Amino acid sequence: MKVRVSNIQRFSLHDGPGIRTTIFLKGCNLNCPWCANPENKSYNFTEYYNQNTKEKGIFGKDYTCDELFNEIMKDYDYYTLDNGGVTFSGGEPLLQIKAMLPLLKKLKEKKINICFETALQVQTELIQEAVDYVNEWIIDMKILDADECKNILNGDIELYFKNLDFLKYKNITIDIFRIPFSNEYTLKDNNIELLIKALKKYNYKNVEIFKIHNLALSKYQSIGIEPEELTEVSDEMLEKVYKIFKISGINVKIINI
Amino acid sequence: METIKKIIGKTNIARIRLIYLFHRKYKNIWKTLIFSIQSIFNFYTPSKKLLKGEQIRKVFNKAKINIDTNNHFIYTLDVFKIVPRENRMIDNLTIDYSKVIHNSLINLKKDNLKITSGKFKDSQEQLILGIEEYINRICDKITKSTRKDKKKLINYFQNIKTKEATSFEEALQRILFFNQLIWQSGLCLNGLGRLDKILDKLYKQDIKEKNLTVEKAKKLIKDFIETLHQNFWFKSNSLLGDTGQIIILGGLEPNGKYFYNDLTYLFIEVLHDLSLPDPKILLRVAKNIPKDLMEVSLKCIQTGIGCPLFSNDDVIIPKLIDYGYDKKDAYNYATSACWEPFIPGKSFDQNNIDSIVYMEPFLKMIDSIELDNVETFEQFLETYIQFLQDYILEYIEKINSIEWEESPLLSLFTENCNKNAKDIAYGGAKYNHYGFTSVSLSNVVNSLYNIKHFVFDKKTYQLSQINTLRQNNYFENENIIIDLKKQPIRYGTDSKEIIELTNTITKKVNDILNNHVNKLGGKFKFGLSAPSYITKSMHVAASFDGRKNDDPFGVHISSDKASVAYTELIQFASKLDYSSSRFNGNVIDFMITPSFIENNFDKMVNFLILSISLGFFQMQMNVTSSDTLIKAKANPKQYENLIVRVWGFSAYFNDLPENYKNLLIERALKNEGKSI
Repeated sequence: MKVRVSNIQRFSLHDGPGIRTTIFLKGCNLNCPWCANPENKSYNFTEYYNQNTKEKGIFGKDYTCDELFNEIMKDYDYYTLDNGGVTFSGGEPLLQIKAMLPLLKKLKEKKINICFETALQVQTELIQEAVDYVNEWIIDMKILDADECKNILNGDIELYFKNLDFLKYKNITIDIFRIPFSNEYTLKDNNIELLIKALKKYNYKNVEIFKIHNLALSKYQSIGIEPEELTEVSDEMLEKVYKIFKISGINVKIINI
Repeated sequence: METIKKIIGKTNIARIRLIYLFHRKYKNIWKTLIFSIQSIFNFYTPSKKLLKGEQIRKVFNKAKINIDTNNHFIYTLDVFKIVPRENRMIDNLTIDYSKVIHNSLINLKKDNLKITSGKFKDSQEQLILGIEEYINRICDKITKSTRKDKKKLINYFQNIKTKEATSFEEALQRILFFNQLIWQSGLCLNGLGRLDKILDKLYKQDIKEKNLTVEKAKKLIKDFIETLHQNFWFKSNSLLGDTGQIIILGGLEPNGKYFYNDLTYLFIEVLHDLSLPDPKILLRVAKNIPKDLMEVSLKCIQTGIGCPLFSNDDVIIPKLIDYGYDKKDAYNYATSACWEPFIPGKSFDQNNIDSIVYMEPFLKMIDSIELDNVETFEQFLETYIQFLQDYILEYIEKINSIEWEESPLLSLFTENCNKNAKDIAYGGAKYNHYGFTSVSLSNVVNSLYNIKHFVFDKKTYQLSQINTLRQNNYFENENIIIDLKKQPIRYGTDSKEIIELTNTITKKVNDILNNHVNKLGGKFKFGLSAPSYITKSMHVAASFDGRKNDDPFGVHISSDKASVAYTELIQFASKLDYSSSRFNGNVIDFMITPSFIENNFDKMVNFLILSISLGFFQMQMNVTSSDTLIKAKANPKQYENLIVRVWGFSAYFNDLPENYKNLLIERALKNEGKSI
């Protein structure tokens, strides 16, 4: 079984502790309107053509676990300080967990720190497969209202909480809860209430909030998808949310992605 | 060019150049002309028939002395007094300033008396007398000035004649005085050496005896740096900012310990606070460097002033020893104006003698051979190597015809010149090596690999077919350029094939150079970075890496791939073979945005420390963003203080020629993933 990857980003500094290599996996079960990596929504190979640079090609390449392992090992020397290592992102990386198991096993043998950046709205069995290998969890928190989550993201909020409960049961502390804010979707009073409520329930180290940018516009255009135009959250607004979280006792910080 | 220089005469060229330098200063043609005409009677050049030491003595005698009451230190250059020249000037050297601080003219005279008679002895004698007279004139002027610290200053200057410097402040003044003499004698790209090490003893003594505090020392260093910077417009070589005023800090000791002291931090902090493009700092680093020193350095780099540049002792020192420098000397290395190692006070080493342009023999080969008859890539590579060999051999012959202008002043402070009774220009020094720099190696490696990939492996194009497109500058064939530029295995990526290919080429150059000696009996050496990536690319046809006619060559050790990971570039550079003669400066150069460092400061410090262990040779960072550069180009007045790193120096962005600005913008865009 091969792992389908869209991009391997070395010297990645935003997706977990230390210096890391981030592997972006193809395929996602959600459909977030603000997605910054639209090329990873589909598991299928995705053709692109960039009109500005005249580049064309295909997003997606199948790797054997050994090939991916070799790619990750290229920067092994850089992982040695402050728990650097590898981050699996996407797309939804847990969807390909079965194909990845031999790789995770090898990485664990080499004591390489493994991080998953996931939306966690996948079948719990997939998380059960991963849980013993993962050192760091970066988990998205998006729209927590069950109906809106279903209608807007194609998500399953019950499953999400079931999975969080499962991690809690396994005594796992979530390293980062990451919350994207858009005026149109996540920055709603009722959602903020739900976010705070949820955060109080689970063990975590940090909460990172950030505003969504339209930075992926050219990427959308290159794969022939018209992105939804979203208004950017103002700095003041983000600051206000930050304060609300702080008052509620949440260890939050604003990040720039 | 050489014939024109001969007809006009090198001294006249120096005079004409001076008027050009005034234009740099005034940035207005009328002001320049008026100033030049007003100054016409200030010009002075002694007869070239005199001994060189006598010529310099006369210049020192005539030099106008200006005692500035606003400046803490005395530094008085008279740019109108020019020492005549007939041959190529020695440049890019730093005298051993510890010999200046811990010495006196009496001692120098004693050494001179040991020499049996001859021109060298006479020339040196004249020079020493010139220095003595200069000191007397300065003291007179100080006496007549309104300065309140007359007594102290006169003491400092009189002491030069008879004894060692006795305090930190006196040592700084003495270094400045001799630095001034060096510039006044016509030498250029003059470095300062290992100042933290050289000043260590006096600094510690003054602190211990409570004659100095750390704050006072910092203030003195600030004044010292500002004094050196004063004649920026005059000291700059071909581009404004290229002064060669490099200060070397830190460094590994023979016992394995890493040398650093308060001064190491203070010099970096002062540079950080002043935000000037010159002088500049090179920090010698090693695995055991303290983390907080890297933090202070990164904070300085973050300001965008382009320094410190990092030079990795763990890699460099063994190479120097292996090449033949004595162990003690190797551990005491400094560098030429940019980064090429030499031994201060012991080397004549002319490390920037010229650049090897790898693309020249490549294009010559393409134009000379029957391309369709080449059957394999190996055959193609072998042919290139043959052309490269012929090119290097021709080069050696050309370089060996250079005659050097005598320099009694450098000879005075260079070991063995006295012993050999021979000026440094004739091989009087302990080490007499010639160093080449390299340009367009990355373009050749990428061209070779593209040909391997597209012609021999994939058979997408025929060699002659792709060459026809190249000869037409890829006109209306932008898609081919994208293929050639986007082919992912290229210089700066840690692909085994690319590393092997690069090492194969440099090994060949190394083997040829090792079989030759220069006319002074020294050896040849070369490094993989060079200042001439723009000048040497002019009038050079398009190449197989997707470069168009006249486009700049690759910059030092860098990648032309958009958004290449810094770790990948370091991995690549650390796997290149720098052994034998290949150590003449090998600098990784990367663009980085200020926000990237700010948002990831701690991780960047770790990255630097881990990279030292990995084994890069040298590294510099250009901290800027495409957005800033584009705005600065459009609105120069709003960005008057914007500093960028050019080759091995820093400059104000708006002082640069357009092609340099454009290249920086293009590289910044690539780094940010905004251009292919």
